Amino acid sequence: MRQLGLGLAMAAAGLAMALQTARADDELPIGVIAAQSGSFVSAGNTIVGAANLAAQQINDAGGIKVGDKTYKIKLYIRDNRTDVNVTIAAARELVNDIGVKAIWGTETHDFSVSMAKITGPAKVLQFSGNSSLGAVLDDKAVADDGWLHYAFQSEPQEWQRSGSTAKGVLSLLTPQLKSPPKHSVVFVGNDATGQYLSSHYVKALEAEGQKVDLVQYPPDTTDFSPLLTRIKGMKPDIVHFWYNGDSTLTAFPQALKLGVAPSYFLFGVDPGIYQERSLKADVPVTMSCVPVCWGSSPFPEVKQYFDKYFGLGAAKGPQSSVSLLYYDYFFWYAKALEKVGKIDDPDAVVAELLKSDYKGVVSPVPLVFNKHHQVTFATEVCMVEPNTSDQFKCAVEQPPAAPPPGDNGG
Amino acid sequence: MAMPATDNSAGKMGAATEGARARDRLALLTADNAAVPLPASVQATAAILLAALLIALPWLGLGYRFLSIAITTIYTAIGLYGLGLQFGQAGIMSVGHAALMGVGAYASAILSVQLGLGFWTSLPFAMALSAIVGGVIGLPTLRVGGQHYIIITFCFCALFVIVLTNGGTFTGSATGLDVGSVTPLPGVNFDKLSNNYYLVLAALFLALAATYLIGISRYGRTLRAIRENEQLARSVGINVDLHKLGVLMVSGLFAGLAGVLQLYYLRHISPTLFGAFPSLYLALMVMLGGARYLYGPLIGAVVVNFLPEVLNLDPVDSRIAYGVCLLLVILLLPGGVSAGIKNIYCALTGGPETQTQGGGSDGRA
Repeated sequence: MRQLGLGLAMAAAGLAMALQTARADDELPIGVIAAQSGSFVSAGNTIVGAANLAAQQINDAGGIKVGDKTYKIKLYIRDNRTDVNVTIAAARELVNDIGVKAIWGTETHDFSVSMAKITGPAKVLQFSGNSSLGAVLDDKAVADDGWLHYAFQSEPQEWQRSGSTAKGVLSLLTPQLKSPPKHSVVFVGNDATGQYLSSHYVKALEAEGQKVDLVQYPPDTTDFSPLLTRIKGMKPDIVHFWYNGDSTLTAFPQALKLGVAPSYFLFGVDPGIYQERSLKADVPVTMSCVPVCWGSSPFPEVKQYFDKYFGLGAAKGPQSSVSLLYYDYFFWYAKALEKVGKIDDPDAVVAELLKSDYKGVVSPVPLVFNKHHQVTFATEVCMVEPNTSDQFKCAVEQPPAAPPPGDNGG
Repeated sequence: MAMPATDNSAGKMGAATEGARARDRLALLTADNAAVPLPASVQATAAILLAALLIALPWLGLGYRFLSIAITTIYTAIGLYGLGLQFGQAGIMSVGHAALMGVGAYASAILSVQLGLGFWTSLPFAMALSAIVGGVIGLPTLRVGGQHYIIITFCFCALFVIVLTNGGTFTGSATGLDVGSVTPLPGVNFDKLSNNYYLVLAALFLALAATYLIGISRYGRTLRAIRENEQLARSVGINVDLHKLGVLMVSGLFAGLAGVLQLYYLRHISPTLFGAFPSLYLALMVMLGGARYLYGPLIGAVVVNFLPEVLNLDPVDSRIAYGVCLLLVILLLPGGVSAGIKNIYCALTGGPETQTQGGGSDGRA
């Protein structure tokens, strides 16, 4: 009797272990590394919000059917505390300790590059939104044995975004001004992303016939009035507050008080935030989102997405739209896995991603990765009517076909 | 009812005795007894145990995350040993030490990008350049000291970041520079995390040995003489200027080594890594750990790097925790956490007599 009890107990334990193993086998481990604390928290939280929403929707729809198995996504979310050392430790943990198949994140160039040096050799796919990755994504880096072979840039090439944005800004502001604008000042934070982004945007504006002056401010600046006063002396037609949205929201009211220019462009400031903060200007103001605005989108699928995104408790912030740089790619990755039929063949998944397309929320045109693992889609630009906080007119100008003169692409 | 006068007196005496004992115990636990060496056997045992623990770490199954943070901790500690020498031994504090690490890191990265030099070949040049820059920044210490020098190091740090950020393709601007892996040695591939760990650990052992040897040498005693009374040291014939510059250059060597190790661990560097905040953290670590103690910099690096991991603190909470720790150390343990550990050991074993005023480390504590 005692032996029978022991045997039953062992059988039960064996069954439980087998079930547990089966459950573990049917999970697809995916990592997310993002700043949930520290100075990049507003961007980092959007990655987590998008990942949670996408994973929930895929799992609720039954999971990912790969071969004869169906996998549910299991997210492993790690806070990098806006610290490169923690980012690397988290990447090591996800890649080597947990064995994730892909990682979404991070939110900054430096961190993404350091992370790619871990994901690459381990053949773990990495989806990062930084357009500044374009500086390192070249033929050699993405080759089969290149260190970025498994990395994908989920944001368009910067010359494309800059071109699309410049066209949108000028098309909306020109009818509002007494004479066509000729002189633009680009006002940007002097950090890695700011330098990279503005180098392309200046060329894009010049390609549209603008005379451009670039004025840089040190990161973490809070009193912009000395620099803004200098800009006022340049008598620009448009001041373009380029990267980043958080700093712009501090600098823009100071510019309005000083009456720096007859029109403005605010990069990365969503109409939703403009409206929530009751900002008002007596001159025309344009703004763009990265990549599509949550506050005033003309696309119903985008509106539905943000309803669900905010419905999960995500905060409404100037960078909420950044979540879209990560959301679509979960579905695209799932589609590629289903097509390949194996979850343990990252090379085949990379090849499949490069030859397939995906029509998601971020763009009405299907997304396609180019040979450097970058996508193409337009940027939405909106203009708020003077003296209002909620009257918006939006435009989506397609990116140019080729980089403007003086821009070497990337 | 009043107590008899004699009983009252005895009670007061007893209370006074108890109070005196309590004060003695408190003095024992909070003393900065860096000058009082522990017995050689205790020191040897501590060194062997620590070395064994550090060597065994990758085999303890603590995971890659833990090992990654251990590597960060160790290369930070190597940089701190330089700061520990200049501050703990010579009394020259810097709040721009991260920039000195940055000199080493950028020198190595630029040599890699421009000339194709690898880890081993660029290392001596990077260390030498850090030492030279350390000496050049130290030139003002010959004329000014104390808070003036601290401000100069802070300015150097800010200037260094501005130069890097605007350095074009030569410094990689704000985007930074990339390097490959550490050049493998026969049979040892440093892409493997445990091998990378042993590389930085070997460098740590070198830093510890160098610090120890400087501490017990005539040179170490000279530095401590300068720290305690510069005028007196000068009056007995010590070439104070030369020794101050010398220790700053030695500190630069450590910083350069740490910077190159950091570069090849991250394999990507940018100016933000070497700005004011990282420098302040280094100063915090060395004060927390105890600059005058052999293991002080290592302990400071462990506390600051592992505290957020162990307590799951976000950056804001971490800064609050560091601030509270620093206040507690200043108030209760002027010699840092190392002094506290040593005092507890002495209190438990009735060990060497403590010295409550100043004193100088001879490197054996």
